[in-house]
Amino acid sequence: MSPAVRTGISAGLLAVVVVLLFGNLSGVVLGLLAGAGAAILLDSRVEWPNRNAAIVGGATAGAVAGLLILVGQFIHDLFLMPLAGQPVATAPGSTLQAGLIAVVLAALAGAAVGAIVTQAERPRQLGLLGLLVAFVILFPFLDQQIQLGWTPTVISVLIYVVLALGLNIVVGYAGLLDLGYAAFFAIGAYTTGLLLSPQIGINWDHPLSFWLVIWIAAAVAGLFGLILGAPTLPLRGDYLAIVTLGFGEIVPIVFRNLTRVEIKEPFTGTCLIGCDKAINLTGGEAGINPISHPWLPLVGQFRTGQDLPWYFLIVAIIALTIFLISRLRNSRLGRAWTAMREDELAASSMGIDIVRTKLLAFAMGATFSGFGGAFFASYISAIFPGVFDFSVSVIILCMVILGGLGNITGVILGGLIIMMSDRLFLPQLATLVKNILNTSVLPTIADPAMKDFVATSVDPSQFRLLLFGLTLVIMMLVRPEGLIPNVRRRAEFHEAEAGAEATVATEAKAPAK
Amino acid sequence: MLELRDVQTYYGNIQALKGISLKVNQGEVVTLIGSNGAGKTTTLRTIQGLNRPRYGTILFEGKALETLPTDTIVRLGISQSPEGRLVFPRMTVRENLEMGAFSRSDKEGIAQDMERALNLFPRLRERLAQKAGTLSGGEQQMLAIGRALMARPRLLLLDEPSMGLAPMLVEQIFQTVIEINEQGTTVLLVEQNARMALAVADRGYVLQTGRIVLEDTGPNLLRSETVRKAYLGEH
Repeated sequence: MSPAVRTGISAGLLAVVVVLLFGNLSGVVLGLLAGAGAAILLDSRVEWPNRNAAIVGGATAGAVAGLLILVGQFIHDLFLMPLAGQPVATAPGSTLQAGLIAVVLAALAGAAVGAIVTQAERPRQLGLLGLLVAFVILFPFLDQQIQLGWTPTVISVLIYVVLALGLNIVVGYAGLLDLGYAAFFAIGAYTTGLLLSPQIGINWDHPLSFWLVIWIAAAVAGLFGLILGAPTLPLRGDYLAIVTLGFGEIVPIVFRNLTRVEIKEPFTGTCLIGCDKAINLTGGEAGINPISHPWLPLVGQFRTGQDLPWYFLIVAIIALTIFLISRLRNSRLGRAWTAMREDELAASSMGIDIVRTKLLAFAMGATFSGFGGAFFASYISAIFPGVFDFSVSVIILCMVILGGLGNITGVILGGLIIMMSDRLFLPQLATLVKNILNTSVLPTIADPAMKDFVATSVDPSQFRLLLFGLTLVIMMLVRPEGLIPNVRRRAEFHEAEAGAEATVATEAKAPAK
Repeated sequence: MLELRDVQTYYGNIQALKGISLKVNQGEVVTLIGSNGAGKTTTLRTIQGLNRPRYGTILFEGKALETLPTDTIVRLGISQSPEGRLVFPRMTVRENLEMGAFSRSDKEGIAQDMERALNLFPRLRERLAQKAGTLSGGEQQMLAIGRALMARPRLLLLDEPSMGLAPMLVEQIFQTVIEINEQGTTVLLVEQNARMALAVADRGYVLQTGRIVLEDTGPNLLRSETVRKAYLGEH
């Protein structure tokens, strides 16, 4: 089997899983992704003799992936839908049509990638970036056109991608294991909530206020990064992780309890703040609500339910985050982080100020979660302490680890995979399984106890944490450096092998001297 | 150039340095010898500001160092090749050398010093793109010294450069130390290998449990009864 067909099959199989869940025209989006993905994968395995070969190869891989999607469409429409008790909405003709569109798009995407990857270094990078940007910009319109309705979910997924990018600074670059990262997310969100809602009477009503508040939220989160980072300075490894875990627990509890704030001067008892009536700062369990939306000239007021402006806002935030982080990485500070992670003692004797370097890692990481928090608060328009609990910190950490510590592309991919599965694929799978159970399985079970057991226990959304756990265990065993590892991290995990090779090399050389 | 006056350093309640006074003059190679736990490494760390003295003063060209942060001390012209060849194992040789120049920003000067370090240690030039962790022990030691030189120090602190190296390599390293000194860098060398250290040093101090018990020129110390018995294993 030629490599083109093989990569086409692997990319296509992944896409088919999604198509089987969603059916309809989801194959259009998946076709584009699978075609491009297959071609990129293919390029990493094959040396191209010339451009035409690459275009043909890419197109073949894409077409193979597309054909699998076509098959998936048929299975979904003709087999799964009736099984789930839903009327076959589309005639076989339109299923074929949707599948064929997927095949054509996948082949085109594959060919386009094939044409680009054979360019010289610079145009190649620009070309791939251009394809990506085009897809990101077109996605919400495409989504609207084919009535998939993924955009709102994608928006909330992208918030987590921003958080993962921020945490990557702390864990991936500076090597400080932070288990309480959600705390900074919460601080950014609450800062925004307090400034943009009637909660404590500020309700800053200027149309452009959001654009200032998002920076304030980032700054406040960064400041708390410094404050919470300070006590962790003398700690390393496990101890650091435990202390950050503590912070992650404390912050939501504080927000839960700041419902009657009253500050008295300690000696005389003179009341300073909240004298007439204790201030309800955070709204306790009920949280803060409503938080106002951004406004932009031309676009006007952002509204709940109108996803386009939100989508482009979060994409812009991600673009800014990526830009800033990649600049940071190559800066003096970035090199200091790497050196510190490698060897703290040696780094300090190079004149690197360890205290400053560590604190800045916490502060920078926290700053980006402040952006995420501000967007989240305004988008959801309501925040509760329960949203920021430990599991959020863990999920963000999983994204960073799955994708590849210290690698921006990897972290984004890890974030997309985990959150898309969590927010989009698992719920859809749950619905599908439930429908199938109700229409096709349960009626056939006679024993009422058995029937009850099956009905309540077969629910994929309840396996969510189990699936995460399994994924992580498998990842750690098979590919501990993540999907797309940082070059240096990779060396770290395969140190034993590299070390062994080096020893052999030196020993082999020694007698020659 | 460098003067320590009654420097006392503690680790918590344990006093590691019980009043060290020593002098390093411009252009000298001065060695500090002593057995394990005598306080040699602590002395170097205290000079560089990595440990703080509880009492006493450290003067570098008339300037008090006790309260200055390490990066300032490095910028003043004191850099160290730490004990145990603490190179950055996952960085390449080139990146390691560049880290040595972390406190500097003059690109041209850094490039010059890179060239100089590579001329001193031609072995490193062959391995510029290799990960430091994959180098042999001797090469890592060369890298650690080269990295310390990248700060363009006027005073170079060397902590046990001979540790764990084959005799032939030790000889080579000490040869380079002389070369570095001839190029104008003052060297303060901490060693357990007293014979080698005293052979290259202008002057030496013998350190015993946090105190200086002897001080003399290198050749005199080599002949001294105490040193021969305690550190050179002669009877």
